[in-house]
Amino acid sequence: MNRLLQVEGLVKTFGTTQAVKGIGFNIKEGRCTALLGPNGAGKTTTIRMLTGLLKPTEGKIEFQGLRPGEDQRSLLGYLPQSPAFHNWMSGMEYAVYAGKLCGLSAGEAKSRAKELLGRVGLADAANRKIGGYSGGMKQRLGLAQALIHRPRLLVMDEPVSALDPIGRREVLGILKELKEETTVLFSTHVLHDAEELCDDVVIIQSGQVALQGSLSQIQSDHRRPVIELKLEDKESSMEWARSFVERHQTDDAWRMIIEDAHLEDRTLRLTVLDMEKARQALTEELAKQRVGFVRLEAGYSSLEDLFMKVVGA
Amino acid sequence: MNAGKLLTLVQKEWLELLRSFKLIWVPLVFVVLGIMQPVTSYYMPVILEKAGNMPEGTVIEIPLPSGAQVLADTLSQFGVMGLLILALSFMGTVSGERNSGATSLVLVKPISFGTYIAAKWISMMTLTWGALLLGYAASWYYTWLLIEQVAFGPFLLSYILFGLWFTFILTGTLLFSTLLRSAAGAAFSSLGLAVLLSLLAGLMPKYLSWSPGSITGSAYQAVQSLEGFDALASFGWSIGITVLLIGAGLIGSAAMLRRSPALD
Repeated sequence: MNRLLQVEGLVKTFGTTQAVKGIGFNIKEGRCTALLGPNGAGKTTTIRMLTGLLKPTEGKIEFQGLRPGEDQRSLLGYLPQSPAFHNWMSGMEYAVYAGKLCGLSAGEAKSRAKELLGRVGLADAANRKIGGYSGGMKQRLGLAQALIHRPRLLVMDEPVSALDPIGRREVLGILKELKEETTVLFSTHVLHDAEELCDDVVIIQSGQVALQGSLSQIQSDHRRPVIELKLEDKESSMEWARSFVERHQTDDAWRMIIEDAHLEDRTLRLTVLDMEKARQALTEELAKQRVGFVRLEAGYSSLEDLFMKVVGA
Repeated sequence: MNAGKLLTLVQKEWLELLRSFKLIWVPLVFVVLGIMQPVTSYYMPVILEKAGNMPEGTVIEIPLPSGAQVLADTLSQFGVMGLLILALSFMGTVSGERNSGATSLVLVKPISFGTYIAAKWISMMTLTWGALLLGYAASWYYTWLLIEQVAFGPFLLSYILFGLWFTFILTGTLLFSTLLRSAAGAAFSSLGLAVLLSLLAGLMPKYLSWSPGSITGSAYQAVQSLEGFDALASFGWSIGITVLLIGAGLIGSAAMLRRSPALD
């Protein structure tokens, strides 16, 4: 698969603090990539360097297929975390304005703007002033203006973080369609969105790449069978859980089947080595000890578990 | 620099001036200022008589100023009030957009920083030169009606010289607006520059005749007589230096914008 964007050894220093410490990754044509990381990991800084709004202290950002003399920004569509428009313009005016700035002719900009505003569900509000738009509508207008010149790469910074559940559904729905047509890179700290939308993930932690690869590969590499047991709020059950956490490491029989156990509030999480055996042994143990539980669930670790492990939280 | 994109940006600025009504009230203020000068000069004796609390029987005789004198006074009004209004209306032209985050959407489009600054400057200048022309022409017309006609040549030359002085100071406003985060800071820095330059040119006319500050003086002279005007040997210098500084201000603004196109 073609590489569209190649980032190497990207460093950004603000005064004495190093926000980004040598990040490198590739974005492949036609894939949707998520830049994951906790708040303050350097996601926004990295994205701003890609868009040219921030000059990297060191490192290389290379677009493939850029004709000599062509501005790399003409290949990019960018949607910042909370886009600010000119509130005195209407949505339609802004979209046309954005199109013309990208070098479209007036007629072309108008027809593209109309098409895109319809697509993001702003056809009815197109002639209203942006000042009266809701947060979700602004985000959708942001998408329309970013796509106006058919960019090869759509870059978004936390596209849905600031939205309410309804606005979030709307924008995610549009993104799902879009990723079929163009290459997408977006940053998020919401793992669920990443799992839902992307093909590749780059997890960054304190300015460095902690893990990267395709989502399916990462999931199959790091997926662990997990048993979750939610206990009743009774002292005897909790007592058992606490003793079990200590016991599973020393007891040989348990050590063979359980890799890790920890108790959080009333939930006991067991990362197991052999699901069959663990399920058997655990249910027997629960019956024998008369442990009261509310829920018992066997499944696989999610991206969130992996994320927590990687960022060391 | 791409002409189509420049035009798009200039059109956006004009539309903004129109929608914020600056395109209407700024010229209006200039016209009112321009009319007031000849009118108050003409009616000064009446005004003093009616409102001056003079004792009964006071005879007031004020010689009517010459038309050229009235126009020079108008210019000096514009130089204070007019410049204040223009600087205040343009003080946030870049910093406001940058603070709100609007620049981070515009400057990721394939446009050069120079084009963005040039568009701002062109729209500022259209309003400045337009408002100044309307106000000054109104003053000229009323001076003609009430006092005497001033020849067109001196009128035009003084208009151009004063416009150049405005251009210089407002280019400063644009530069400070890209340099500073605060809009008020930009207005006060550029107005301070205007005051400082005029003051210095007034205090040391011999040594600072080449400075942009002496242009206002040249404008007052130009309107009074074109013949005596050529005497100023340093006139060319002050014009040349002003034009150079305007160019440097624009290049500086574009460089500042390149250094930090958006906040954070």
